[in-house]
Amino acid sequence: MRRVLHLTLLLGLTLLLTTESFAGRSLEDYRYFRALSVDLAGRPPSREEIADFEATGFDLDRWIEDHLKSASYADRIRRIYMDLLRLDLPPTVHFGPASLILAHVSILGPDSKPVDVYFRGGQRRVKPEIDAQFCLTEDEIGAKFAGGGPVGTLKPVARAVFDARTVEVKPWWLYADYRSAHPSDLATYDWIKRFPTFGLYVRMFLGADGAAPKSIRVCREEAQTAPTGHVYVTGRVVTKRDKLLPGRSTRLPADITYAKSHKDEQISCLSGTGFQSSTECGCGVGLERCLPQDGNRFELPYFGPLDADHRFGVSYGDAFMWMRAWWNEEPRHFLEHVLLEDADWRGLLDSRGTTINGPLAQFYRFLASATCCGTASELGYGEPEALFEPTRVPAELIPHHADDWRWIPDRGPHAAGLMTMPVFLMKYGSRRARAHVVYNAFLCKDLIAESLTLTPSTEPDLTKRPGCANCHQTLEPLAAYFTRVQESDWTYLPAKQFPISLPGCTTSDPTRMPGVCRNFYDPAFTDASHTSLRGALAAPGHAESGPPGFAAEITQSPEFATCVVRNVAQSLLGRSLTTEDGEWQSRLTRTFVAGGYRMRALVRAIVTSDRYRHGNDSIPERQ
Amino acid sequence: MKRWLWLVAVGFSAPVAAAPVTEVVASAPRPLPAHREIILDASPKERRRTLPAEAFLRAYLRWFGGLAPIEVQHRATGNNLFDQWGDYVTALGLPDYKIDAPRVTQSSPMMLATLGRLGEALCVRAAQHDLRAGAAPSSRVVFAFDAPAAPTRAQFAAGFDVLHRTFLSYPAALAPADREPRFYALYQRVASHHKEGAQLTADQTAWVAICAALVMHPETELY
Repeated sequence: MRRVLHLTLLLGLTLLLTTESFAGRSLEDYRYFRALSVDLAGRPPSREEIADFEATGFDLDRWIEDHLKSASYADRIRRIYMDLLRLDLPPTVHFGPASLILAHVSILGPDSKPVDVYFRGGQRRVKPEIDAQFCLTEDEIGAKFAGGGPVGTLKPVARAVFDARTVEVKPWWLYADYRSAHPSDLATYDWIKRFPTFGLYVRMFLGADGAAPKSIRVCREEAQTAPTGHVYVTGRVVTKRDKLLPGRSTRLPADITYAKSHKDEQISCLSGTGFQSSTECGCGVGLERCLPQDGNRFELPYFGPLDADHRFGVSYGDAFMWMRAWWNEEPRHFLEHVLLEDADWRGLLDSRGTTINGPLAQFYRFLASATCCGTASELGYGEPEALFEPTRVPAELIPHHADDWRWIPDRGPHAAGLMTMPVFLMKYGSRRARAHVVYNAFLCKDLIAESLTLTPSTEPDLTKRPGCANCHQTLEPLAAYFTRVQESDWTYLPAKQFPISLPGCTTSDPTRMPGVCRNFYDPAFTDASHTSLRGALAAPGHAESGPPGFAAEITQSPEFATCVVRNVAQSLLGRSLTTEDGEWQSRLTRTFVAGGYRMRALVRAIVTSDRYRHGNDSIPERQ
Repeated sequence: MKRWLWLVAVGFSAPVAAAPVTEVVASAPRPLPAHREIILDASPKERRRTLPAEAFLRAYLRWFGGLAPIEVQHRATGNNLFDQWGDYVTALGLPDYKIDAPRVTQSSPMMLATLGRLGEALCVRAAQHDLRAGAAPSSRVVFAFDAPAAPTRAQFAAGFDVLHRTFLSYPAALAPADREPRFYALYQRVASHHKEGAQLTADQTAWVAICAALVMHPETELY
């Protein structure tokens, strides 16, 4: 009898313990909690979290609310849109305007010891023998540099020449306080802790003599710091038949068209045109307007699929690769900001704000304008109008602050969410590609031709050409919004210099249209009285409203909210929505719109719905 | 013959009304019998989703001590157990935006093999860390239980439940009834086929087998 009682007590205690530990949770409850954890905490629950879940009084609604404010929730939702937009650049995308590249060569200094001298290929100098090339001649150093190592036998340079042509500079990559009058915060290994994501390869610490440099030697013109210079005109006439001058590796530079028509006028040293046409434009304070090349390598962050706290490795690349790596990070941080602040989701397209760190601050403030203006300068465009106005970048953000991400509320009037970020504009180089990816990702529609027959045609207008018109009648007006952002670039083409029709480019014989006009105006739509800015033909009004106008059209479309709901719901349910989901989707869309297009309310509605909870087959797997 | 046919036809067409009419009296109205409502869930169903690769990676990093990916690589490398993350990231189904390779949402043999290799490597390392002599229970990350040699069924069940909760996110008691006995049989089989090695004892090897089997369990990879 006593034994039976003992067994009964034991059984009762076991049952009690079992009931307490599960707190009445069913297998389905555990699976729901696991799904919530995967989607809102970014991973399955830990043993401790399961124990919390089992405890009596566990408030699941509170748990969901807390996790809807977490970085892992932001990461989960961000992933949906990163999968749609795929904002990362292939290695083939190159960025390296001549005005930014600070190369170096090793020569023999006055003391016969090797010394590195930094310079820019193409730097304008007053002395003709060194104009637009290295600042010391073959006669002076015993060799010339023509796209590689020295040609000839190096000899020590005379002290007077060396001091006259070169100066010592404490550059931005070696000094954290490079903007101060007397920089002293020299790179040391403690920077690894102080500036954790700003990584210098060890070569950066070593000069030509193998010792750690405290400064670098730079050609005098490159070391200039003025923000503007005067347009320099030589009056030279240079032809391809001209012989190379002794000691020169290139022909003397000719005056560009812009210089001829703007002689002695002030020009910004940030633009490529300033670099091409002024002897007074250098690399700025601490060389911050230039990027070191040749053996000067940076740690390239490989964040892999997770976040900055979970790096999967590290590689090394030059400063351009380093800068490009941060372009890739900009949309990730931008999306994270929108999600964590629960800001209006339409901001992905229409926000003037963005999130930048130190390297991106350097890029937008000093480097982005270098792609301007190329041949556009021949049409009088020399002072760039930026998508991200350099004056809006906080001055205190220096390149070393790679892990300091800041929200910039207003980039300027031309900015439009993700669509004016370099990574978007480079990834989707053409106007059509830009319009198509946004149309597809934000309206959930695609441009697919129905069954049709393509007949031979000479019609240049794709909105009219048989067959092509099917898609291009929709695409061309959308692509027109990107008319004023140059393809595979971010240079903005203002209406002042680039009206829809430019009288100076009209011609009755478009086959003889000048090259500079052809670059920007389409000869196929040019006659004696009219030209057409490339990309604007289908909708000149769209060209004027630019990417912000495109953002307005897309976000005001009734399909926008439905598409957001569809993208997010499909990702969280792990299946496509069907016609049976129609009413539910409409209800979610109403919730999303009524809530001011906030993602948190939408995700909350989805993860607490029966569809999410019971969405998948719960037949236990046998193993 | 024709006359017979005619007679038969006339006979069939004779009016039925000729039969006597019986009066049908309507019954008195009565309430409908009691009924219960059944709500039909008409929402579409599909099989469970594959865990997103990012969630898998975070799970692995957490399961095996909250380590950084580089540390996991360092810890799992050796004895040919693991190579480098770069070798596995694509196989795990992660998208590569650089080349517009999309996310893989369905498991593949390559993905499962990769996860298995990773799981096996980490289970071995975790056993070496957690089950070594003198390891304090509080310092144990995966095998957070007492693991006596040649455990009884009850002793095994306690440890199995810890691993089951860790990887499958629910108590072993809620799993199909034959799961725990089958895993116990697996444990005994592995333990009996292994001698004590330089790295692991036979019992520790058996726990590694249980750990690896649960890491590779379909319910671990789905949600």
